[in-house]
Amino acid sequence: MLELTLSFLVFGLLAAVMIVINYLLGPRKPNPAREKPFECGSPPLQAGIGPVNIPFFLVALLFLLLDVEIAFFYPLALAFRDRGFGGLAALGTFILVLALGFVYAWKKGIFRWS
Amino acid sequence: MTTFMALAPLLTVVFGALVVLLLEAFMKRANREPLGYVAALALLAAGFFVIRSWNRDLDYFGGRLVLDRFSLLLIALFVILGLFVLLMGLKYAARQGMNLGEFCGLVLLAVAGLMIMVSSTDWLVVFLGLEVLSVASYALSGLKKTDRTSSEAAAKYFLMGSFAGAFFVFGLALVFGTSGSLDFSTLLAGGVSGAGLAPAGAVGLGLILAALSFKIAIAPFHMWAPDVYEGAPTPVTVFLTVGPKAAGLAVLFRLLVPLLRNEPFAAVFGSALSLMAVLTMFAGNLAALRQRSVKRMLAYSSIAHSGYLIVAVIAGDGPSLVFYLVVYLFMNAGAFSVLAAMSRKGVEYTALDDFAGLGRRYPWLAACLSVFLLSLAGFPPTAGFLAKFYVFSGAVREGHVALAVAAVLASLISVAYYLKVIVFMYMKEDQGEAAIDQENPALYLVIFLCLFGVVQLGLWPGNLLALIRQALSAAF
Repeated sequence: MLELTLSFLVFGLLAAVMIVINYLLGPRKPNPAREKPFECGSPPLQAGIGPVNIPFFLVALLFLLLDVEIAFFYPLALAFRDRGFGGLAALGTFILVLALGFVYAWKKGIFRWS
Repeated sequence: MTTFMALAPLLTVVFGALVVLLLEAFMKRANREPLGYVAALALLAAGFFVIRSWNRDLDYFGGRLVLDRFSLLLIALFVILGLFVLLMGLKYAARQGMNLGEFCGLVLLAVAGLMIMVSSTDWLVVFLGLEVLSVASYALSGLKKTDRTSSEAAAKYFLMGSFAGAFFVFGLALVFGTSGSLDFSTLLAGGVSGAGLAPAGAVGLGLILAALSFKIAIAPFHMWAPDVYEGAPTPVTVFLTVGPKAAGLAVLFRLLVPLLRNEPFAAVFGSALSLMAVLTMFAGNLAALRQRSVKRMLAYSSIAHSGYLIVAVIAGDGPSLVFYLVVYLFMNAGAFSVLAAMSRKGVEYTALDDFAGLGRRYPWLAACLSVFLLSLAGFPPTAGFLAKFYVFSGAVREGHVALAVAAVLASLISVAYYLKVIVFMYMKEDQGEAAIDQENPALYLVIFLCLFGVVQLGLWPGNLLALIRQALSAAF
């Protein structure tokens, strides 16, 4: 029991000391973004339906395209001995289709943000 | 026989779609019509492979993709549908501000989805096909990007379609949880042995049925259909009214016909389906009576036709079902292609008043539209009469007399609004001058082929019927 109380005291004291040190030594340049509980780029309070940047949405889709690719590579790495080059060819076709989609998106100007 | 060749029709179409999309992205010239020819070539190649696979019972992926004669027949129907839609879109795209390359690529992908749907008895594969078809058709219905109604159609179709997809997957999960299999046949084998399906499995089947009824546009799941069919570009409307309907009915037929032979299922699903069929026929026909836009009227008429088709499914009458689908393809595509012909750059004439006096100004178009409408209404020398006759007499033969009477009454109602258009064309003075741009050879080819189909199948249906009977004798 004593140990528990002691450790709480020590850690509590330590925390208090760190906060005080931070208060004394830290530079103070407040700005609105820093005052928020989370600094993740999106405001904590906003309407449920708001405007979304469409180019960002497209990049997210493209990310999904490449992400799915990875998700299929890992199982093939495990099953490669059983499947042999047939499996590689099947996955290669899949990757080819995805790559064509990538080329299509590129050509359609997905990376040209005005 | 298990061979890679079973994938040939599907691969040809998908490959064609990829080629068309890439060509579209890299093409410099403004005239995009060559893309349409490339897409049509891919469909023709797929048609060639379909004919070569006839009678050979090819399968692949461990029997999960089967090209039996039933699915080949439907795939052939989809290939013809795809060709009609592409030909209709060639000039339409440029006139109504639609990207022809995207249109062709998406039509090919949607046809691929239809092919997957009808050539499997595995639920997951059917779902895969359904999703390929759905995603392509959401995009297709919104292709007129500057048009408000087209965007609205796409948004509505997407939202409702996603709900239906979720129903389908949830139903699948319940069926899989209770039967331990995702194949139609094992599920049914469990039903035959007397143990039947646990209640959760029956609920799952109900959910799957609801999702399919959504795709086929059967009441009470038809609410999205008129807005989507009206808002979508006219060639796309043809695709949406025929393609998903045929594929959904084929899946339903494969699933339901063995199911309806089992007593516990027949009592529930048989009566539910009959109720839905009657509701669909009357809801579609009564709503169509009040429409002032011919396109919307045809949209409601297409809902009513789903009702007649469901009657064939309930009676377990495969040959009539497929015959009706083929005839419906010709008469519906014909009516909508005349509608597509009533347009010029940036304008489409779809209101009933625009058709006033059409018989004097454009006698050929009016005559063709009259034939298609008479066929849709089911008048004797046309194919529509025979199609309805086979379906209704099949229902009577199987003892569904009340259903057949309801169907006949509903089609009597439909005569009123089909004839209204003909009356407007021949007996009304034209008020406005709906000047249409007549230079559109591909569209006229489609109208001619549809006319040929409607008349040929109305007078000499024997060859096709023999083919269909042969196709269905083995499978069921």
